[in-house]
Amino acid sequence: MSASAGPAVASGHPTVAGTADAKRLPKPRGERFGGLVEGWLRGHTLLIYLFLYIPIIVVVIFSFNATNRRVTDWQGFSLKWYASVLSDKVVQSALTNSFIVATSTAIISTVFGTMAALGLQRAPKWFQRPFEALTFVSIIVPEIVIALATLVFFSSSFDVINPIFGLKLKLGFPTIIAAHALFNISLVMLLVRARLSGMDRTHVEASYDLYGTPWRTFWQITFPQLLPAVVAGFLLSFTFSFDDYVITTFVSGAGSTTLPLYIFSTIRKGVTPATNAVAALMLLITLTILIVGQLVVARNARRASGRGAGVAQMITEQSA
Amino acid sequence: MTDQDLDQVIRRMAQTPLSRRGFMYAGGLSAAAAFLAACSSGGSSSPSAAATTSAAPTSAASEAPTASAAPSVAAVVVEKELFMYNWGDYVDPTNMKAFQQEFGVEKFTYDTFASNDEMMAKFQGGATGQWDISAPTANFVPAMRDQGFIQKLDLPHIPNAALIDDTFKKQWWDPTDEWQLPKDWGTTGITVRTKFVKEEVKTWKAFFEVAPKYTGRIVIVDSPDDVFVAPLKALGYSLNSVDPTELGQARELLLALAPHVLALDSDQYNTKIETGEAVLGLTWTGGILELRDKPATADVEYLIPDDGTVFWMDTWVVLADAPHPNAANAFLNFILEPHHQALETMTNQYASCSSAAKEFIDPKVTSDPALYVPADVQAKLEGQKDNSGSKLRASIYEEFKSKIGQA
Amino acid sequence: MAAITEAVPVRPARPPRSIRSAALTTVLVLPASLWYIILLVLPLAIVVVMSFGLQGNHGSYAPGFTLDNYGSAFERLTPFTTSLWLSLAGTILCLLAALPIAYFIATRAGRRKSLFIVLLVVPFWTSFLIRTYAWLTILGPDGLGGFIGDSIGDPGFRILGTPAAVLLGVVYGYLPLMIFPIYVTLERMDRTLVEASKDLGAGRWSTFRQITLPIILPGLLTGSILVFIPLMGEYVIPAILGYGRVFLIGNQLVLQFLESRNWPEGAARAVVLILIMLVSVIFYLWFANRGRKTRDVSVI
Repeated sequence: MSASAGPAVASGHPTVAGTADAKRLPKPRGERFGGLVEGWLRGHTLLIYLFLYIPIIVVVIFSFNATNRRVTDWQGFSLKWYASVLSDKVVQSALTNSFIVATSTAIISTVFGTMAALGLQRAPKWFQRPFEALTFVSIIVPEIVIALATLVFFSSSFDVINPIFGLKLKLGFPTIIAAHALFNISLVMLLVRARLSGMDRTHVEASYDLYGTPWRTFWQITFPQLLPAVVAGFLLSFTFSFDDYVITTFVSGAGSTTLPLYIFSTIRKGVTPATNAVAALMLLITLTILIVGQLVVARNARRASGRGAGVAQMITEQSA
Repeated sequence: MTDQDLDQVIRRMAQTPLSRRGFMYAGGLSAAAAFLAACSSGGSSSPSAAATTSAAPTSAASEAPTASAAPSVAAVVVEKELFMYNWGDYVDPTNMKAFQQEFGVEKFTYDTFASNDEMMAKFQGGATGQWDISAPTANFVPAMRDQGFIQKLDLPHIPNAALIDDTFKKQWWDPTDEWQLPKDWGTTGITVRTKFVKEEVKTWKAFFEVAPKYTGRIVIVDSPDDVFVAPLKALGYSLNSVDPTELGQARELLLALAPHVLALDSDQYNTKIETGEAVLGLTWTGGILELRDKPATADVEYLIPDDGTVFWMDTWVVLADAPHPNAANAFLNFILEPHHQALETMTNQYASCSSAAKEFIDPKVTSDPALYVPADVQAKLEGQKDNSGSKLRASIYEEFKSKIGQA
Repeated sequence: MAAITEAVPVRPARPPRSIRSAALTTVLVLPASLWYIILLVLPLAIVVVMSFGLQGNHGSYAPGFTLDNYGSAFERLTPFTTSLWLSLAGTILCLLAALPIAYFIATRAGRRKSLFIVLLVVPFWTSFLIRTYAWLTILGPDGLGGFIGDSIGDPGFRILGTPAAVLLGVVYGYLPLMIFPIYVTLERMDRTLVEASKDLGAGRWSTFRQITLPIILPGLLTGSILVFIPLMGEYVIPAILGYGRVFLIGNQLVLQFLESRNWPEGAARAVVLILIMLVSVIFYLWFANRGRKTRDVSVI
């Protein structure tokens, strides 16, 4: 029924050629309801994306609201809130701070979390069990508890360390990033570990047999297989950190107000369309980066496929 | 003498202990500096006046000289930065910019908190020494003072403190008025959609009686101190009572009310009132007053109950170990000027504590009994005390909160 | 003698198998371990110490030793059970919502997989509060809630302030945490195995149970943990979308730490919560993984 399934079955084992098409799942044979299932899959996916984006659309629409106070009271179309945001230093500084913190946290967490997942597989059981327990505890601890406790920890430590070493450590970006990274390292670790489970050393062994160095083996064999989990971990870490309120509130210092802090503090006065405008601008920036990124990746992919396929590439394609 | 030389001299003097001769020298220099500053900054105050609806613009320019230090006080160098830790959006941006321009403060860092409790928890957790000024609600001031979070005000450098009305001085939270400066004040009262609520709800007692009739349409702010005001006042007790019997009776009233409450909401109560989801509320004035101006919700009323209610006050404090004390003092003095106070009142929709500001405020606002409470009603207002130590209040509130909307 | 040694061929030097094991392992886990020790264990030690202490004059903590806090921690347990129900319902709903879309992106999205994935989180780069307030508008009396109320002729009808609204908000906020783990395991699956299984006559369910499920099980487990556990501590979404009509353990803890400023009792309650949850998670994982042979094989 489908071309790619034929040779794979006939020869009794999957071939390289067969798996190249495995990226696109061939229609399951003997499926009377195949079309229905497909339709349902597509429909469900579309529904979920709609669900995720409906509030965003509402937010963007109301960012053009000409009202003076309450966001949802439509008073006509206006760009004034965008003008206000672009000239409001407090909002801009909050936005910048959020970006700095979230990016740093995401990088740190992704690197250390991935390393931990890889290392944990090699570690003896007496280390693994407590380490895993700590991972879970870091997720279990309610935010307000860890936030307050971390604040007390930092301030007490600084009170002790600063006089002794003549330093001037204080609350600020480093403390926020460190506190965010705790949860995110665990997050990345769990994601990568889920990805690692069941993975075997076949390709790694193959690479070594072909005189690959450990370094190259990692980057060309193992890492590409981990990539989806690493990317997912990075995205989730960035998101969690960017949007965090409770922990940031407690461990931030002067001048490190992030966007969520700013927004939460204005709710008493009423959320104005200015915050919607900020959100809309954020969307614009990220979507632009995404589109540009996609174009760059597509262009590189086209260029790369022209190069001769190395052994490593062949091996990765086999397993990807 | 160039400006730079003058600057350097003053800096050096600020670092050395003042001898009597040095003091005279500084006094003379500062007089000269004040004179020069007055001449050059005369126009800088006017932008803030332009934003008020009916403020007299011409008087603004002549007010500028009073902002600079009086000639008899030693000249201070205002730092180039000011770190503020405040409620969000609580200082008018025009005032902020004007202050920065007038005093050459290049960096005005505005960090925010969403509640007094959050601010308190943060200081108690150890985050002190970071900011210069904060604006807690008055009942938190004694606790902050006792725990060493704030420092005594440098009143000689804040001459405009004299403009505060006497009614706001010598309160229980600061009998000597050395620790805080009133920022603004307000009340907690009853909000009614008269279109839907036909009864007269003029007292807290009536509030509780009428509640079952409007079950599921009552909104209450999520604030323990404010919530206790209603039952205690309805029963004729002090709203700060920690007496077990009185609190027990209050608890009965609250638990009877809980099933009829739509939501405990400090941030969106005005929206619920506006849409009609809620027709009766125990609220602050924030967001409510604007509704009266709109045709669709002109029936909204905010009233101060006859059996009394709380008046709260937000206060400026200078934090202990403030990194920029001179800038802090300069700001406090600046913000207490009448036309700046007027702008704050117009923007924040809370009454200033200085009558001198009244002449710059729209008469419609100053004659609004919800904001500018008439004297006879003022007599029924009771100040909020710090009741955080009462475990009974805490547990009653938790019980009340957990029973909201439960049948 | 000499002839024998000369006859034996010299094997070429073997490539290195891997870097010295222990050193590499240590380096790999060191940063995360440091993080756990400094930013988790030490602050938690502070919490434990606090839980035995007394409430200070103005709230917060005063040194002392008492077990009273643990006594109080076991009173007023209703918020805990309410949270349990919410977390359970939320996790199941997330699972049902996440599986098809994770499957779709992993198998049908082709080269645009990463775009689909990123588009899942972009909405969360707008502020949480703004998004939630948008839901207030959408579901409120000016939106869907009012629309449905008018259609069925019930002026008192309300979506907001009900468990339904809370669950919707919860699924909205936690869905990526469920989708991503399932996706990363699903994406690794070799689809030819499924194909082979079907060709060998296995029905859809058998194939799923014996081929697909074991592979995505770690993803399912990770996802359910990543949703269930933080959900237990959730309190903001119920406060806003549920109109505060649902009182959860998150609310209780925040009340104790902020308004009541009874840090010791809050700390004791937190310790109890953490221990219960930790034991539950360990039991859950043991139960789900029993019979599975998981070998930990190093892939570097």
